[in-house]
Amino acid sequence: MLRMFRAIGLFAAAALGVAASPASAAGDLLVAPTRVILDGSRGTEVVLNNIGSEPATYRISLEIKRMTAAGGLDEIAEADVNAAERAALDIISFNPRRVRLLPNQPQVIRVGARLPEGLPPGEYRAHMLFRAVPDAAAEAASAPEAVKAASGGMSIALTPIYGITIPVIVRVGDLDAAAKIGDARVADTRDGPAFEFDLARTGSRSVYGDIEVTRPGASEPLLLARGIAVYPEIGSRTVSLRVPPEVAAALKGPVRIRYSEDREVGGATIDQADRVVK
Amino acid sequence: MRTTEMKRALVGAAIAALAFNASAAQAATTTATAKARILAPLTIANTSDLDFGTIVSGTGASTVAVSSAGAVSCGTGLTCLGTTSAANFNLGGTSGANVTISVPGSVNLTSGANSMTATLASSASSLTLGASGGSFQVGGTLSVGANQAAGSYTGTFTVTANYQ
Repeated sequence: MLRMFRAIGLFAAAALGVAASPASAAGDLLVAPTRVILDGSRGTEVVLNNIGSEPATYRISLEIKRMTAAGGLDEIAEADVNAAERAALDIISFNPRRVRLLPNQPQVIRVGARLPEGLPPGEYRAHMLFRAVPDAAAEAASAPEAVKAASGGMSIALTPIYGITIPVIVRVGDLDAAAKIGDARVADTRDGPAFEFDLARTGSRSVYGDIEVTRPGASEPLLLARGIAVYPEIGSRTVSLRVPPEVAAALKGPVRIRYSEDREVGGATIDQADRVVK
Repeated sequence: MRTTEMKRALVGAAIAALAFNASAAQAATTTATAKARILAPLTIANTSDLDFGTIVSGTGASTVAVSSAGAVSCGTGLTCLGTTSAANFNLGGTSGANVTISVPGSVNLTSGANSMTATLASSASSLTLGASGGSFQVGGTLSVGANQAAGSYTGTFTVTANYQ
């Protein structure tokens, strides 16, 4: 069965390879892990892999993002960063910053922190961006379209430059945090129905973990969502999880919401609350 | 429907293969002989471009919109030719993982000294990945000026998938 599945996958790869426009194959990427926490100055490694079908050049950089009350991450221009965010950019070191990879060639990025003396305790965070640099060769290859366009009308070529960001968090000193689950509801968002609840945070660091929504008496969880954070720049956020209409309907009524730490660090409960969802 | 399932199978197979590669890379950097660390990955792949097709401009300013489903609405006075498509991105990663999507509000397109702008819209601002990952589309609305000069217009826009 598994073998059949793989065969289909390979067949699909071949079929899609032909169907998709060839220029878009360059630049696909994999990043692992999806979150880096540095306690003290011991470093770690992040893997970047070219999962596209063409060689590609990737650039690695740091960005400052601030969490919004809606749970989004707003990019902050380097000119607008505050002192703590500036410190994060200064103390996080990584190497290499630019790398050319063949298809399926992984590269290890070393990430560390250099803590200057007298750095106040706290959580310092930047977001590491991995993104393919558009190829000069690929752009030249799309030039023949100009000839076609000249015969009348306009042709439009919009190239997406796409990538992944992961948080890199440096913790200095003894920090603590707690979280509290607020009201829960099913809401109609622009993207469709969503399960929403408020999540408040106190303390000197971020909270991060998994959400599990269960119905008392039922063994199967109604909803699972991993990797939900509340960062120190905000005291509270709305967690909005898009769900299919049938799940939205099933969520109404009494539920238990559990917010637990990542399984990798033990999965302890951060907060748990019984709510009636309207 | 069938294509969707095939795409999902493809993403699944790609993740399985890559997870193996990632741990192999880790192993290569340590001195232990039998050690494997499994890391949770996140992948992003671009499977189609945002394509407005070919447009013949009119005497008045107008717009061409491509929905996140890829359907075109051609504004009054314009002639739209060719197939259009929305940009599609497939994400892969741990089932249940929450990912936010950032797409800029607008993009500038140029052809020599001539330019146009397009507004962009993503089909989702955040995604919870399923067992076979997830996908989102980016559509847009192109503002075409009166008697916009013919030519090949190019522009780039950034798309990022953010882990919290």
